[in-house]
Amino acid sequence: MLELLHDSVEKGQALGADFVESRYEDLTLRTLQRSDDTWKDIQVKSRMGFAITCYVEGVSGFSFTPSPEKKDVLEATERAYRMAKASVSAAKLKLPFDERQAVTSKPSDSLRPKIHPRDENIDFKTDLVNRCVEQAHEYGENIRNVKGLYGELYGKKMLVNGDGSEIDWDFLVADLRIIVTSRTEGGAMVLGYEGHGGTWGLEKYKTKGFTPEDMGREAGERATEQLEAKACPAGSFRALCEERLVGVLAHESFGHLSEADFVVAGGSPLTDKLGKRLGTEHATIIDGGVPDIEKYGGLWVPFDDQGTPSSMTTVLDEGVLKHYLHNRGTAKKLGQDPTGNARAVNFTFPPIPRMTNTYVAPGDLNEDEALELLDRGVYAIQTHGGQVTGDGSFLFKAIRGYWVEDGEIKYPIREVSLSGNILQLLGNVLGATEELQLFSGYFGGCGKGDQFPLPTGLGGPKVIIDDVTFGGESQ
Amino acid sequence: MDYDSIKDELLAAVDSALKYAKTLDPEAEFEVFVYFNNSMEAEIEQGVVTAKDGAIAGNTVRAAIGNRVGFACASGVTTDRVKMSAKEAHEIASSVKVEDDKFEGFCDPSEPGREGEFDERILELGTDDLIGACVSMTKDAKTVDERAKIFSASASASYGGYAIANTRGVLAATRFGDNNCSINVQAIKGEERRSAFSLDIARNRLFEIEGLGQDAAEKAVDLLGAKKLDYTGKMKTIWRPIPAAMYIQASLGQSALGRPVVEGISPLSDMMGDTIAHEALTIVDDGQKPESLGTKAIDHEGHGQMRNVIVEQGVLKGFLFDNYWARAFGVESTGNCTRGGGPIAGGTPYEYSVGVAVKHLMVSPGEQSQEDIIDSVDGKGLVIDGFPLGIFHTNVATGEFSVVANAVYLVENGELKGSVQPVSVSGDFYQGLKNIAAIGNDIEVLPWAIENPTLAFDDFTVVG
Repeated sequence: MLELLHDSVEKGQALGADFVESRYEDLTLRTLQRSDDTWKDIQVKSRMGFAITCYVEGVSGFSFTPSPEKKDVLEATERAYRMAKASVSAAKLKLPFDERQAVTSKPSDSLRPKIHPRDENIDFKTDLVNRCVEQAHEYGENIRNVKGLYGELYGKKMLVNGDGSEIDWDFLVADLRIIVTSRTEGGAMVLGYEGHGGTWGLEKYKTKGFTPEDMGREAGERATEQLEAKACPAGSFRALCEERLVGVLAHESFGHLSEADFVVAGGSPLTDKLGKRLGTEHATIIDGGVPDIEKYGGLWVPFDDQGTPSSMTTVLDEGVLKHYLHNRGTAKKLGQDPTGNARAVNFTFPPIPRMTNTYVAPGDLNEDEALELLDRGVYAIQTHGGQVTGDGSFLFKAIRGYWVEDGEIKYPIREVSLSGNILQLLGNVLGATEELQLFSGYFGGCGKGDQFPLPTGLGGPKVIIDDVTFGGESQ
Repeated sequence: MDYDSIKDELLAAVDSALKYAKTLDPEAEFEVFVYFNNSMEAEIEQGVVTAKDGAIAGNTVRAAIGNRVGFACASGVTTDRVKMSAKEAHEIASSVKVEDDKFEGFCDPSEPGREGEFDERILELGTDDLIGACVSMTKDAKTVDERAKIFSASASASYGGYAIANTRGVLAATRFGDNNCSINVQAIKGEERRSAFSLDIARNRLFEIEGLGQDAAEKAVDLLGAKKLDYTGKMKTIWRPIPAAMYIQASLGQSALGRPVVEGISPLSDMMGDTIAHEALTIVDDGQKPESLGTKAIDHEGHGQMRNVIVEQGVLKGFLFDNYWARAFGVESTGNCTRGGGPIAGGTPYEYSVGVAVKHLMVSPGEQSQEDIIDSVDGKGLVIDGFPLGIFHTNVATGEFSVVANAVYLVENGELKGSVQPVSVSGDFYQGLKNIAAIGNDIEVLPWAIENPTLAFDDFTVVG
C-alpha cells in the first residue's frame, strides 16, 4: 500500500500541487453490547480506504475512495487537486506551509500490548462483558436494566507526503463499560456507571480496579446508592470535580477553543490571547499524543494525519496561554511549531486540528485537603459528556455526586448539570490533587463538524473550582 | 454510479451477495445492505476555503443461525468486500454462543412506499456553484453591522441510494438526495461573542441563499449586550422552533421508540391511550411526505416507509418500530428502521446496526403567532432560541433535563426586552409536555428530521 501512496503523491505533484499527503487506513472495529440477558450487538466493521489532500497556494482540496485499485486512487488524487485549484480564487485567507524534514516511522512507534485484541477470540471478550453484567446484578438493587459494552478498534494507518515522509503504525484502543439503571420507589430512574478504555491490551482487565468484577460491582453499588440520592440544589457553589469530569472540562470547554483553525479564523475567544493570563496558577492544561500510557492511561497517537510526530503541548501554563493546537498550515500562520494535532475521524474526511489527550496537570493536594478546600459545595463525579459554544459557554452533566459541608461528605446527589463560561471558570480554579488519570475509549469520542466519533483521551487530577453554576431542582 | 442507474446497480450488488451468502450456509438467514452516497461540499470560514468530494460506499451483512445474529460491515461495495462481510457475519453467528431471545428473523417483504421528490438540477451543482453560494451568503452577512465579525458559510449537494436483500424475499432499493447551504455569524463587542446561524435545505428544489446571511448576522448582533438575568426559580419559557424541535426530539423523539418502550425504560411503555401531553398537541412521524428529507420508499431493512401518529390531541396513540422491536412488542413494523439513526446521524449508515429512529416528525401548529404568545406573558418570561446545550444528554428514563440556553431574551409583561446572558433551564420533559402553555402557528421545517412551531411551557426552573 505504501507504493500506492507514493504513486498518489507523485501524481498530485505532477498535476501541479504544491504539496500532497496520501493516507491509507485498514482498521477493524469490534463492538459487543449486552442489555440484560440479550446480546444486542456483536459486530465487526472493516474500514479500509485512501484519503488524499492536495494543496495549491495554501488552499486544500480533499477526496477519498474505498477502492484499493490504482486507477481509483489516482482519480481521487486528481479530484483533490482540481478542487484545490478551483478554490484558490475564492480563498481570501490561505494557509501555506513549509516543507519539513521527512519522517520515517519505527516499529517502536506502535505500542505492543501483551494480549492484543486481535489475538483473542470472541468468547474471551463476551466473557468480559458477561462477568461485568453478572457482578452488577449482584450489587445493584431495583434494577431495571444492565448494559455491558466492549469495543475495540485497531489496525494500520499509513501516510506518505510531499516531504518524503513514510509512516506506518498501528492504532489501538480497547474499552469495557457497564451501565446500571435502577428505579427509585418514586418511579424515577437512576444510573450507576463504570468504564475503562485506552490504548492497551486485554491484560489490563486483569488488574485491580479494571477487572470486570471490580467494574460491575462499582456500577451496581453506585446505582444502589443513587436510589437514596437527593436532587442537587440549584445555584452557584464551589465544586470538587472528579478526574473524568475535569478531563471533559479540559477537552470540551477549553481544548476546542485552542484548536488553531478556530483561532486563525478569529472565531475562538482565545484569538490574540497568547501570553495572556486566562486562569489561576492552578490551571495548567496539556494536550499530547504520547503520554505515559503505562502510568496514566490514555490514547496513543504517535503521528497525526499530516505525518507530524506528536508532542506534548502545554496549552495553558499556570494560567497563561502558551500554545494552540495546530495543523501545519495554522502553525505557520501563527508562527508556532506544528503540534501533531491534524487528525481525521476516518478516510472519508480531511485532517483538521483536533485533540489527542487533553488534561489538567496535577497539583499538590491530597484528597482530604481537597475536601477541606471545597468546604461547602458539590463533589461532582463522572460525566455523560458536555457541550460548548464558540464563546466558551459550556454545560456538562455529572452522573452523580455528593453534597459536602464543612469538608465532609453529607449525602449523595443525583445527576447534575454544571454550566458557565470556561474563561471565567479558569479564573476560579483553586487547586488540584496530586494524582493524574487519563481516560480514553472506543465508545463516545469527540465530534467536530461532521467528524464524529474520534477517539481522544482526557483526564486530570481532582480540581476545586469556585462559583460553578449547578442546574437541578429549585430550592 | 449515476442517479438514474443507482438502484439497478445496488440491487445487482445485493442480489449477487445474497446468492453467495446462501452458499455459505443454506439453512441460515441473511440480509445484505448496500449504501452509496456521492457528496460534494464547500466551506468558507473567514476566507479559508475547504472543498471536499467523494462517494461513501459500504455494505453490511447480517447472518442469523436460529437466534444467533452476526453483523459485519465493510467500506466498499465491490463483490469481494461484500463477500468478506457475508463470511464474517456468518462466522460470528456460528462461533458465538450467545443468543438473542427477541430475534425472530429478518424483515418480511412489504409494500414499498414513495421515494420522495428530487430536483435533478441538484446533480448539476459543481464545486464552483457551492463556493459561489458561500461567497454570496458571506457577502450579504457582512453588510448588516460592523459588529458581525466572523463568518462561516457552507454548501453541499449529494445524492445516493441503498438496496436491501434478504432470504425472506426482500429485494428493494430507494434513492435520496438533497442540497443545502448555511451560514454562521459571530458578532463581537469587547469580550462578548454571540453567534447565530441560518440555513436552507431541500430535495425538491435548489437551495435558496437569499436573506440567509442577513438573517444570521442580525440574530447574532441582536444577542449582544446581554444582561444578567439574576433570577432563580420557576418561569414561563417560550421555545422558538429550533429549540422546540430539540425538545421534542430529545423527549418524545426518543421515548416513543421501540427499544426503550420494549425494555421498559421509557415511562411511556404502559401509557398507550393515556393523556401524556396538552390536548392541543398532535405529533406525527411521516416517512412519506414527498418533500421531506426523511422520505424514502423503504427503511433501512427494506420495510415500506409509512405515516405514523404518535400523539393525537394529547393522547398517546403509537410507538415507532423496526421489525425487531415490533415483533418483541407483538405488533407490525412502522417502517422506522434506521442504521446509525438519530436526528444528527452520521454519514456511514452501513457501519451501524439496525435501530429505530424517527423519519420526519411533524408537530401540528397551534393558533397563536409567536408575537401573541409573547404578548400573553404576565410578569417575567424568557424566549429561547438556538440549540439548548446539553439537551441530548438527557436520559429517556428519568425525563429530567437541564440545559443551558445561550440565545435568550427577557420578556416582561408581554414585551420583548432584549438579550440576557446564558441561563440554565431544567425540569421534566414529560411534565413539560403536559404544561404546554401555548403552541405557535409558525411551523419551520428543519434539517433534523422534524418540522414544528414555537412551544411555550410553564414552570421550568430557570437559573440565570
